[in-house]
Amino acid sequence: MKSSVKMAKLTSLFVILLSFFCISEAVFEDQVGKFDWRQQYVGKTLFAHFESNTQSSKKMFVATDKNIFASFNSRTGDLLWRHVDKTGPEGSIDILLLHGQDALMVVGDGRLLRSWDTNIGGLNWEAVLDTGSFQAACFVAIQDTVKLVAVLKKAAISLHYLSNGHQKWVENLPDSDAVQYQAVYSGGEEEVYVLGVVPNSHLTIIAYSLEDGEIIKQRSVEASWLSSIESSCVVVGQGVLMCVDPATLALYTLPIQAEETPEFSQILLQSLDLEVFPGFQPVLVSSQPHPARSPLSEFFLQLGPDHHVLLQLNADGYTIAPLRDFQPAFLVSFATTGKKTVAAVMTPKNETACAINLFSVDSGRRLLDTTVLFPLEPNGGKPHTLYVHAFLKKDDSVGYRVLVQTQDHALTFIQQPGRVVWTREEALADVVTMEMVDLPLTGTQAELEGEFGKKADGLFPMVLKRLSSQVTLLQAWLAHLWKLFYEARKPRSQVKNEVTIETLSRDEFNLQKMMVMVTASGKLFGIDSKSGSILWKHYLENVQPNAAFKLIVQRTTAHFPHPPQCTLLIKDKDTGLATLHVFNPIFGRKSHIALPALPRPILQSLLLPVIDQDYAKVLLLVDDQYKVTAFPSTKNVLQQLQEMASSIFFYLIRSDQGNLSGFRLRKDLSTERIWEVVLPTEVQKIVAVKGKRPNEHVHSQGRVMGDRSVLYKYLNPNLLAVVTESTDTHPERAFVGVFLVDGVTGRIIHEAVQRKARGPVHFVHSENWVVYEYWNTKSRRNEFSVLELFEGTELYNSTVFSSLDRPHLPQVLQQTYIFPSPITTMEATLTEKGITSRHLLVGLPSGAILSLPKMFLDPRRPEVVTEHSREENLIPYAPEMPIRTEWFINYNQTVARVKGIYTAPSGLESTCLVVAYGLDIYQTRVYPSKQFDVLKDDYDYVLISSVLFALFFATMISKRLAQVKLLNRAWR
Amino acid sequence: MLLHGRLSELCIFLQAMFVFACCFSDIESGPIATSGSVQPNGDRFKLEGRAIVPGVKTQDWISSARVTVEGEEYIGFMRTDGSFVVNDVPSGSYVVEVISPGYKFEAVRVDITSKGKMRARLVNFIKTSEVIRQPYPLQLRSSGPHTYFMKRETWGWTDFLMNPMVLMMVLPLLIIVLLPKVVNTNDPEMRKEMEQSMNMLNPNPELPDVSEFMTKLFSGSKSSSNKAVGGSKASGRPAVKRR
Repeated sequence: MKSSVKMAKLTSLFVILLSFFCISEAVFEDQVGKFDWRQQYVGKTLFAHFESNTQSSKKMFVATDKNIFASFNSRTGDLLWRHVDKTGPEGSIDILLLHGQDALMVVGDGRLLRSWDTNIGGLNWEAVLDTGSFQAACFVAIQDTVKLVAVLKKAAISLHYLSNGHQKWVENLPDSDAVQYQAVYSGGEEEVYVLGVVPNSHLTIIAYSLEDGEIIKQRSVEASWLSSIESSCVVVGQGVLMCVDPATLALYTLPIQAEETPEFSQILLQSLDLEVFPGFQPVLVSSQPHPARSPLSEFFLQLGPDHHVLLQLNADGYTIAPLRDFQPAFLVSFATTGKKTVAAVMTPKNETACAINLFSVDSGRRLLDTTVLFPLEPNGGKPHTLYVHAFLKKDDSVGYRVLVQTQDHALTFIQQPGRVVWTREEALADVVTMEMVDLPLTGTQAELEGEFGKKADGLFPMVLKRLSSQVTLLQAWLAHLWKLFYEARKPRSQVKNEVTIETLSRDEFNLQKMMVMVTASGKLFGIDSKSGSILWKHYLENVQPNAAFKLIVQRTTAHFPHPPQCTLLIKDKDTGLATLHVFNPIFGRKSHIALPALPRPILQSLLLPVIDQDYAKVLLLVDDQYKVTAFPSTKNVLQQLQEMASSIFFYLIRSDQGNLSGFRLRKDLSTERIWEVVLPTEVQKIVAVKGKRPNEHVHSQGRVMGDRSVLYKYLNPNLLAVVTESTDTHPERAFVGVFLVDGVTGRIIHEAVQRKARGPVHFVHSENWVVYEYWNTKSRRNEFSVLELFEGTELYNSTVFSSLDRPHLPQVLQQTYIFPSPITTMEATLTEKGITSRHLLVGLPSGAILSLPKMFLDPRRPEVVTEHSREENLIPYAPEMPIRTEWFINYNQTVARVKGIYTAPSGLESTCLVVAYGLDIYQTRVYPSKQFDVLKDDYDYVLISSVLFALFFATMISKRLAQVKLLNRAWR
Repeated sequence: MLLHGRLSELCIFLQAMFVFACCFSDIESGPIATSGSVQPNGDRFKLEGRAIVPGVKTQDWISSARVTVEGEEYIGFMRTDGSFVVNDVPSGSYVVEVISPGYKFEAVRVDITSKGKMRARLVNFIKTSEVIRQPYPLQLRSSGPHTYFMKRETWGWTDFLMNPMVLMMVLPLLIIVLLPKVVNTNDPEMRKEMEQSMNMLNPNPELPDVSEFMTKLFSGSKSSSNKAVGGSKASGRPAVKRR
């Protein structure tokens, strides 16, 4: 007992000493990219355009569902620049149009019109549009040059100059309450046409004069079958509106510009020998290569999921000629280069690949030597969209490159002849949760381990086995040496350390791990933490877009020969029903384990420290009737559960009812409620609840004070931090509450209310402290507050902590500081044994990740410096927290929209592995107390060895001199 | 007298000029700031400014920069000439910041009244009501690139020699070795004087002395004569003591 206190004193002194030196922790310039990497993503592509139609053009532009407008280098797939707008509907990109150097974008449901200079990635201009939801937009040409852009809104149409964004005119649309205006068309004439529909009644065509916005003509056409122009109509040929009606199975054509009162002419699909796949809504695809000219008279009609037909509208304007039938064909697309327009069609080739071919649009003939292959991945998504970049080669033939987007948001860029140039896994732009798993031992290491595991079978075989394993080790070492020698002769650029699943093995200090990442699209990734290369991916189909995920490591790699096992709990947010996906985190393969049936919505899941005979930790799932399902649920497990039932407690949060309740497990796996805390929902709502991380170690039990006494920490492993926000958002009455609740007994240990404060609250709960951040509505600034809990100078029961036997409430210390920036997320560093001092990793909106020493968030920081506080190395209190750019662990490698920071201990006590994810993924290592357990990478071997040699020679020489002197003296 | 009168007149005239200039600029900037910022959709305003990185072309930094208003509440992008506009901002008080991974910019607090009058001032989180006016439309000048990196501790001879520990070791050594050569120890008067002073300082001559030992060692190896050893024995002491 006494010795342990002494140890605690010593180590805490040690840590204090260390932290004293570590205040200036930062990255060195030569370490850039050595231990860290960043991957930038943009999200699911909504619009994609290629720069110009020459073979040498390298740029492509995408607008995504994450409100991002970005430019890629199409040769490498790297980002050239990226503009990250506000999240949510206010920043959503409605349309992206490209004309020459300018990219036109309507943002936020018709809120803003932006023009970008695509060359340098800057804004040309930004114009505020009138209110009203966005419908359509198109370029408008005056005398063959594109000068204007027309924006159609629900009740108005406006024309803007491309050069400066100024409005040419804006006109209200007539009768906009009844008529749904959905399309705007300009074919290079003096008018711009607006098409509207009164569903199942009639179609309205209005022609506006380009000059002053005057209505030139207004027609109404009977169309009782038409419900939406957007989904069933396109403009083809010389201004002919082409519609498809799935009910009558007919195409309808209508000349938009006709002078007299026009009428739809009907062409039955049957007359063209075409049949619609039952239950399929036919889709029309047309192309308008240049805004100053009318669209092509050729168009695609999709009749089924894998059936497309290329059709041509004849010059008379109402008869249609079929050009070519494509079946099977997944995707089709038009591409134009110069005067030539081609159609690209993707057809399935075999199980593992799709073929993409080009067809001449005029004749429907296949262009020779244009096949490229698109590889289909076994665990990937199906192709979803095809973007074709066609260009004229030097010999005037058409060359092309294709960008294929699959359902799992991956983008693949393919060049002729069928070479995949790059792939971008855009699903990683939305990582939901992740875990880091230790890599397995190598084959030889595992063999060695296995040798000790088995029971002895005689002395002689054992010796033989020992010898053989030694020989294999020697072999491996020789092979390694040979490889080193061989690679040393090669030029450095050729040496590639390709990481594959086969060569994966744990390194000496366990610094390289497997990052298992779960994305919102339902695609799982296994990423090597050292290089950032994706080692495996697995797309889970049928995952609802709003599903919640929880990743649980049930068995680590430590239990050879049992493979490691991860379980992903996927919960549908609407129904609450959950499914399990069990897989091997190293190889990504699905495990074939009998899964429990989960017919009822799952409320809570908890991982117990109980292990079954196969060393898998037991997962308990609590359903809405408070019944518990165990996974795995073998006899062994159930028996263990029965024995331990009385000591298994769990809690449930009902934030809609403001209810926090604790339960205990009964022997028959039913539950009983033992406590309940109600926070009235009229006043405040529960925002978040956090316990402590189960893999957290606290090394020192207390803190040594200046007078050599020990202040013991209150280390309650069952403590929950509950954060509430007031329902009243008025700046004077809003508040943020923090409750510390014991998860076993339901006892409220502490209650802190921050008046005139509102969320979003970010907080970290660890060891004996809670750090939370909120917005101070009165002073309009962000503030950090730290709560630290101490038992006092006496420990009640030092051997074991029990929530049930803890009569004294802890002493709570609190201090608050101003933080000069808003934050997006917060996490604390974590190390193997908890000896290293802690840092807080704070994600800032600028994309920087600040490593803030916990020393700065210490409620014992004194206002007046005394002898004791100086001895304890307490920093005097200062109201404003510093932000130094040297503390940014990711220097200029900013991580846009940081959503989460994951920290994991490594095999080295000094080192903590950090992964920040959001739009980008950034991985690095941090050393909160510097690298005290390994030689630093700037360790000067030359100096130390030269000093040693110098000393050695100095002794040699002086010895010799002494001998000579003695000899001389003897001669005298 | 006359001169004095003239001077005061001049002063008044200058003052008047100054006041007039103030009024003029106020009149000029006031209405423009208000009328220019009112937007078609009611009580939303636009925030304008310009950011400059001295010595760097705009196209080299604007593609990675953006303007954030109060965190990510409102976002604006840089125009190709370095100016920016944040549209659709309601009245209130905001911290406006140009964020660039390459260059540092100071944040500015902008207050917008419900009528759309704008005012820019320095950000002060401690004294939140303090007003130090800044120009509006905002003029943000970068104070240079961010310093993300620490300098490595490099090893150089000068650093090594200037280390206090090394200085403490080397200087006495030098004195021990060099002093016997500088002071003529063969001079009997000098020797007597020194021995006297030595005896005064060291009351117990029996006690072995470290300095004595050191001098013996070093001077012994240099000179072979017994006399010199004896001489240095005497001279070594004061040398050390003097330090």
